[in-house]
Amino acid sequence: MTRTLTILTAAALLTPTAQAQNATTVRLGFFPNLTHAPALVGLEKGYFQKALGSAKLDSREFVSGTTLMEAFAAGQIDIAYVGPGPAINGAARGMPLQIVAGASEAGAVLIARKDSGIRTYKDLAGKRVAVPSLGNTQDISLRHLLKEQGLKAQADGGNVTVTPVAPADVIAAFAAGRVDATLVPEPWGAVLEAQGHRLIGNEKTVWRGGQYPTTIVIVNTKFAQANPALVTAFLKAHADAVAYLNKSPAAARTVVNNELEKLTGQKVDLRVLQRAMVRTRFTTRVDLDALNDYAALNVEAGYARNVPDLKAFLLPSLLK
Amino acid sequence: MTTVSPANPAAAPRRASRWRMLLWQLLGLLLLLALWWLVTDVLRLYPPYVFPSPRAVWTEISYGLWGTGPQDGKLLAAIGNSLRRVLVGYAIAVLLGGLVGLLMGAWRLLRETVGAYLTGIQSVPSIAFVPFAILFFGLNERAVLFVVILEGFIPVALAVSGALMNVPPALRIAGRTLGASGLGLTTGVLLPSAVPSILTGLRTAWSFAWRALVGGELLVSASASLGAQLEIGRNTANMALVIATILIIGIIGGLFDSLLRALEARVRRDYGLEVTQ
Repeated sequence: MTRTLTILTAAALLTPTAQAQNATTVRLGFFPNLTHAPALVGLEKGYFQKALGSAKLDSREFVSGTTLMEAFAAGQIDIAYVGPGPAINGAARGMPLQIVAGASEAGAVLIARKDSGIRTYKDLAGKRVAVPSLGNTQDISLRHLLKEQGLKAQADGGNVTVTPVAPADVIAAFAAGRVDATLVPEPWGAVLEAQGHRLIGNEKTVWRGGQYPTTIVIVNTKFAQANPALVTAFLKAHADAVAYLNKSPAAARTVVNNELEKLTGQKVDLRVLQRAMVRTRFTTRVDLDALNDYAALNVEAGYARNVPDLKAFLLPSLLK
Repeated sequence: MTTVSPANPAAAPRRASRWRMLLWQLLGLLLLLALWWLVTDVLRLYPPYVFPSPRAVWTEISYGLWGTGPQDGKLLAAIGNSLRRVLVGYAIAVLLGGLVGLLMGAWRLLRETVGAYLTGIQSVPSIAFVPFAILFFGLNERAVLFVVILEGFIPVALAVSGALMNVPPALRIAGRTLGASGLGLTTGVLLPSAVPSILTGLRTAWSFAWRALVGGELLVSASASLGAQLEIGRNTANMALVIATILIIGIIGGLFDSLLRALEARVRRDYGLEVTQ
């Protein structure tokens, strides 16, 4: 509850002067993944629309942070659920964005195809590993994981082929034998595991003992300055969705499943979804230390030259 | 490239006009750079994540080509990989295209069946074949090579068969009269006389192959390549890297094209097809 209040006051602090509320539509971006469950719950339960009142909610799903950030850069998205990778890169390049809340932590696992012969991280040598997209959150943590094992991606002169495949398509890619392993966000990890593929690294061993943000909420700075009340209302609905996910996980599973099926056309078994949900933490908290570590990995992977001052992109009240 | 013999009276003025043209081209380039600088650095019409300044792009090029940091030199590695791929693909495409073209030139039935299909396939953009290639070969280099070869061999085949068809009948008759027939006639008489047209086909094939390569690499971005650099630039909101890569793709494509163009001009002159004033 205190967290909710923090967010509320935070959003109120977004603008020093109250401006006329000029937006009649709030454009929301998110992915159809369990790591974006607060978005799925907020949509399916109508939390967002209710909180926004007369302003219309226009939600759009994206398959990767890349396309989402492109829409964000073009000013077509006001609020977004996105991985820290694209958000940090966007911030570093000067996109007008502000991190306003956390959404989920951990929730990404490394799964190997059952007949790939992979049993440990070391066995990834010479194999083909899928990530949602080059430069995204999972790609960066995979590259760090490889480094810890003394391995390297092919593009960096090593022998592990890192290839981008949209999470929902990994199931087909596994079936066709096109990739040997994947670092995917949930529920796709649990779905693959249910099909008999092998869990190599769980959400805790992938990075930082599972203490890292997987999805955060960002807003367009200009939108937030012009519409502080809308942002505050949205964040309250977001906090409600997170609370719902934590308080009634069983009911939330059905809600998430319905929304996932609507968006991806794939129905996930509820038991599978439960396993995926256990591996994901839902929170409104933002872990600045983890974000900074993450930005350092981004540099290590060669996707950026320096670690931006993330504090500047974070609402002051979100800092502990 | 082309050495001008002093015996040629037209050489001196031609050389002068070439220098003047080069000067104009340089001036145009500077103007373009100035305009770019004006729009980005001075007027700031676009945010840098949409349209970066020339300086930002230059920084990417210098890091990517001769930077010494642990993550530097990626563009150089990408160029190496992409060039290797396109050269292998192009070589195979030329051999395959030459063979198919010869067969089509010699055999009318083939020309009117396969030839028609090839023209149809040529009108399909190479990128359209990438999903098929991925399913067939997997997310790997072979999928990219497939698209490059497919795109490259068609113009060669069509050029070779077309060139063989357009050999003046007099030459054919003369060759026959002198005792050549069958394969001997094709390789000894028809093919040599078809060289200028074939070269035009080779040049078209090059630009097709180069474009197909970048398109394929963009979708199959598993290893270091120019296409992957474009994708990474896009994914990390690094427009400067995207523009740097586009410039490099254009420069390499243009360099090879002008090389082939020079060769073509030389051959056309030698064949007496180009009239020197």
